[in-house]
Amino acid sequence: MIGRRSGLIAALGTLALAIGACSPGASDGGSDSGSGAGGDVTLEVWGWRQEDAAAYKKIFATYEDANPGVTVKYVPYKADEYDTILRTGLSDANGPDVAQLRSYGLLQPLVASDSVVALDDEVDALAEFPEATLDGARGVEDGKVYGVPFALQTLHVIYNKKIFAEHGIEEPETWDDLNAAFATLKGADVTPLSATISDTWMLPIQQEIFGATTYGGHAYLDRMLAGQASFTDKPWVDSLTTWKNTSQYWEANFQGVNYADAQALFTSGQAAAFPGGVWELAVFSQANPELELGIFNVPPPPGAAATETLVPGYVDGSYGVSAKSPDKEAALKLVNWMASPEFGQAFTEQLRQISAVPEVVPTDELLAEALEAYTANPSPYVTYAYFSSGEPTAWDLASEGLSKYVLGQSSAQEAATHIQQGVDQWFKPKP
Amino acid sequence: MTALLPPKARAASPAPSKRPRRAAGRHGSGLSRLGVQALLWVYAALAFGPLVLVLIGSFRPNADILREPVGLPDSLNFDNYARAWETASLSTYFVNSLTITVASVALCVTVSAMAAYALSRWRFRGRALLAALFISGLMIPAKLGLLPVFYMFQSWGLIDNRIGLVLLYAASGIPFSVFVIMGFMRGMPDELEEAARLDGCDEGRMFVSVVLPVMRPALAVATVFQFAPTWNDFFYPLVLMRSDDKYTVPVGLTRFFGEYAADRATLFAGLVIALVPLAVVFALATKHIISGLTAGMSK
Amino acid sequence: MRRRYRPDRTPLGWIAGFTLPALVLYGLLIVVPLVTAFYYGFFRWEGTKQAEFTGLGNYQEVLTRYPLGEQIPVALWHNVLFFVGTMAIQNTIGLGLAVMLYRNPRFKRFFQAVFSLPYLISPLIVGYIWSLLLSPSFGPINHILESVGLESWARPWLGEPDTALPVLILVNAWQWIGGPMLIFLAALGGIPRELEEAASLDGASAARAFWSVRFPLLMPAVGVITVLTFIGCFNIFDLVYALGGSDGGPGGAMDVLGLLYYRTAFEGGANAIGESSALAMMIFLVIFGVSIALERVLRRREVS
Repeated sequence: MIGRRSGLIAALGTLALAIGACSPGASDGGSDSGSGAGGDVTLEVWGWRQEDAAAYKKIFATYEDANPGVTVKYVPYKADEYDTILRTGLSDANGPDVAQLRSYGLLQPLVASDSVVALDDEVDALAEFPEATLDGARGVEDGKVYGVPFALQTLHVIYNKKIFAEHGIEEPETWDDLNAAFATLKGADVTPLSATISDTWMLPIQQEIFGATTYGGHAYLDRMLAGQASFTDKPWVDSLTTWKNTSQYWEANFQGVNYADAQALFTSGQAAAFPGGVWELAVFSQANPELELGIFNVPPPPGAAATETLVPGYVDGSYGVSAKSPDKEAALKLVNWMASPEFGQAFTEQLRQISAVPEVVPTDELLAEALEAYTANPSPYVTYAYFSSGEPTAWDLASEGLSKYVLGQSSAQEAATHIQQGVDQWFKPKP
Repeated sequence: MTALLPPKARAASPAPSKRPRRAAGRHGSGLSRLGVQALLWVYAALAFGPLVLVLIGSFRPNADILREPVGLPDSLNFDNYARAWETASLSTYFVNSLTITVASVALCVTVSAMAAYALSRWRFRGRALLAALFISGLMIPAKLGLLPVFYMFQSWGLIDNRIGLVLLYAASGIPFSVFVIMGFMRGMPDELEEAARLDGCDEGRMFVSVVLPVMRPALAVATVFQFAPTWNDFFYPLVLMRSDDKYTVPVGLTRFFGEYAADRATLFAGLVIALVPLAVVFALATKHIISGLTAGMSK
Repeated sequence: MRRRYRPDRTPLGWIAGFTLPALVLYGLLIVVPLVTAFYYGFFRWEGTKQAEFTGLGNYQEVLTRYPLGEQIPVALWHNVLFFVGTMAIQNTIGLGLAVMLYRNPRFKRFFQAVFSLPYLISPLIVGYIWSLLLSPSFGPINHILESVGLESWARPWLGEPDTALPVLILVNAWQWIGGPMLIFLAALGGIPRELEEAASLDGASAARAFWSVRFPLLMPAVGVITVLTFIGCFNIFDLVYALGGSDGGPGGAMDVLGLLYYRTAFEGGANAIGESSALAMMIFLVIFGVSIALERVLRRREVS
């Protein structure tokens, strides 16, 4: 029995201590098992892609061979929960040394809390990266770069070559080709497009794929950033309509189809095409190795602002160094290596993704095609990349607004107003 | 708070199953009795059907499920199970869940029993206030305090530490356990402690040798009610645990779900694997669980 | 008030020894964090770094910022609908099952077991199971409807704003129905049979006898169930998250306070801690206040 008066006092003391200790800044303690005295270092690299664990093991093995005494461990978390886990994980020394950081607006809370180290003076190779790529890893307030971008994602219509060939369809060159192709497929009882609806984060992606040419890509974005155009202006609103007009070619009962189902519709051969990111290619081939995949982008419809077939793309994420890492030197060295062509080449080969390191050409044919198309006619992922550094983010607003729009609960104009009204609360144009 | 407390404790009353089974024939004709049986079976099918669908699905190859969502497996194919078992490392998660759940329930029930006993049998200043403080916890959405808990644990080095989870679960179970045990103790006659006291036992001895044995039904209820939610929680370990080898079953499963979102067959098999231990526990302890739930809820 | 046997007052040491372990644990891990959250809510935050004091600034921000300010009443309304629907469906069916089992105790234990089995499954898994079963492309449920000639009933259950919330209520009821059933069954067992028999001798029909004699005696059980249902319905998170994601399903049709808190706290911007703490306090006040009020009303009714 503890009991007695001293017990009471001790308990109250603990309580008071707890309140004092509650402030998050209070701790920077904790010892990392990795930082041994003998010079052996274990670096933990956190990421949100669990499917990449095996490939990273190989990639980091190269680094470990070249740097004796260093062990690099890739620790993946579920993508949905990663942001939560990372935000809390970066606030103490037992968290990661190096971490995959989300890009653009999603990076800002980590910058605001000084959780990650600015790399401008630490990683010389960053000077070689294009400005648009570095935008993905920049702090909005101070303009500094906080991570080494690792992947570019491009957005396309991914199609099943076999199904297209069976119905005598080729990659569409014009808007009319596209509609004719989808109509042919529909007439033959094949679902032309496998659209993801109930996982709302996929909606703005599909809107970019089908609507980019309608509003005009980078040219329109520049005017938006300068305050000369908005989401509610006709070109952008029309881009929603262009996209939704394809809904006649979506799967039956599309309202309730989630991401996994839409993927399964495509990989099982029930749908001919899937509008999505280039990251799907690896997933699709793994789910069904017999699939012959192709990609194309949506040609401009009549009245579109752009005359070229635009290819939307963005920086997926970057590798940053935790400010609380006990092995910061070693972590910085690793991140420097991640900006090198050696890492870039290994990355694109092992992971079948487009490396963000300049001059690295994917060995995979489709990826090379995607990168080439993107480099020729790039288009931004507007809501995710450029209007996401304040609350509410255009990305969240677009997910909500477009969800209501495709479900028929609101008009295109109302969906656009939803985004504009939210963004207006914090966005300052730079004329 | 008293509406939550029994108007008069009925804990000592027999469980309903012990009532004589005579009365069935008194109400209505044989036909309506048949109708009632039919309805009960229909609902049983509704309650059990979804789980059967999962079980059937777990034996079919994924391609079959995608082509034909409903159908019987061609053969008893355990490939899905092998894949699910290998990749999900469920055995580690099971050990973690079991350790954490048992430890936290034991801790929770012990401290709650002591507090509830003191609050219901002794008179002291602040007693009513203390009781109200505990029981009002029933209405506190404890998860809203997650962020402060996180920072507190961080400063104590309890992040990625199973002890932290045990303490947290034990704490969050206290209101309900205190509530149940207090209600039970109020129904106990005063004579309970009298004899022991005359024998010269002090409060501690009396609690252990006289009160605890009598309290057992209430302790069982508290245990049953703590066990399932603790076993099933995924929110706390998600945020407070870091290493894969310390995850509990629900967190392990969400990970597994992310990885196999497109592979229904493996998902179904993983679900079955996760549900089997619960089903076994349930089959073995149905009687106790039901009477525990009944006694607890009737209070 | 009955007098208890008290030779003398219990020594303070014993009182402290018995109550402190629970009090410390509960105080430290439940009460202190809530108080701390309350405190956090008065500051602006930069990520995990506490910045300046803003008073009620976060509260104002949460309540007025578009679209969050508009989502709060909507989510609250969904919680209310969810509560009302659960009371109407889960607890009515639970009562029905209890009455049937009471009158017709054949296989009673088996039925009790089967009906309460889903209670043991994690709400998250229940959500995953049902979203797989209800999937419009590969789910068995629409498929079964189609194969029995009910094609017109097949629909994207979780994808249509009109059906999403009702489906949520049904799935939730599927999981928890054992609770009210067991409570009612126990309460029915506590009512003397003679009461009803007397009524039926007077010539009242069985149904009349039930409503006029037995039902009033079930009121204490109804009270307990109402309060527990309220707390459960206003704390719901796992199940909705698994069925509709953190956005709350199609067009936010299943958005509830729990999800709103989750989004603000874990998917929010730099000031997430400040804003979510303010929101947490408001949710806490609603749940705590209404529980107390509900409990008062029910107690009054019970007495009269």
